[in-house]
Amino acid sequence: MHKAVRIQYEDFSTDDEIEALRATSKRIGGIGLFLGCARDFSEGREVSEIDFDAYDRMALSELSALRDEAIARFGLMGARIVHRVGTVTSGENIVLIVTGAEHRAAALDACRWIIDELKERVPIWKKEITPEGDSWVVPHP
Amino acid sequence: MINVLFFGPVADRVGAAVLQLEHRQGWSVKDLRGELAQRYPEAFDIACFTAVDGAHVRDLGRTLDDGSEVAFMAKFSGG
Repeated sequence: MHKAVRIQYEDFSTDDEIEALRATSKRIGGIGLFLGCARDFSEGREVSEIDFDAYDRMALSELSALRDEAIARFGLMGARIVHRVGTVTSGENIVLIVTGAEHRAAALDACRWIIDELKERVPIWKKEITPEGDSWVVPHP
Repeated sequence: MINVLFFGPVADRVGAAVLQLEHRQGWSVKDLRGELAQRYPEAFDIACFTAVDGAHVRDLGRTLDDGSEVAFMAKFSGG
């Protein structure tokens, strides 16, 4: 079985990740899911691809810490986080977060908390590839 | 030896992903940053986070050991 926290070049299966989460506990009554996808349009420009660079070992460490904190903070039964690096074509998956809790509120709140914290704390950078040229993305507030 | 790592937009502005510098006794993160900022001012305009050996560092007065890995990073944009 794949690890619960991963950074990888290849695409992932949302079904496989949900099944892996469900296999951890039958006390899970609600699963929250966030799937980040590559848009084909940004800041008024067409985007064909997004290139991701990461400080791999630190990013993995921060993602693992985020997962541990979310489990403790929201009382989760389990959580999984997968983030892609390298080149992602428009329309493809970028990041997946799945959270399992006894009830829906904790699962959904945890999911939102993890993606918000990920954007602040995890050393990953994206560059949009457009017909007008390439540019690193400036984070949104 | 100190390994200095750059990623994404900072690496583009430095023109390299890795630099190796001789370790100096008593050298701090701030000292290292100051020297590199003179060489690569455009890169250090956007380098707002620092990590040593893979962990965030907020005390730039921290002394660097021989063999340290230091990363100067721009704001993150993952997700």
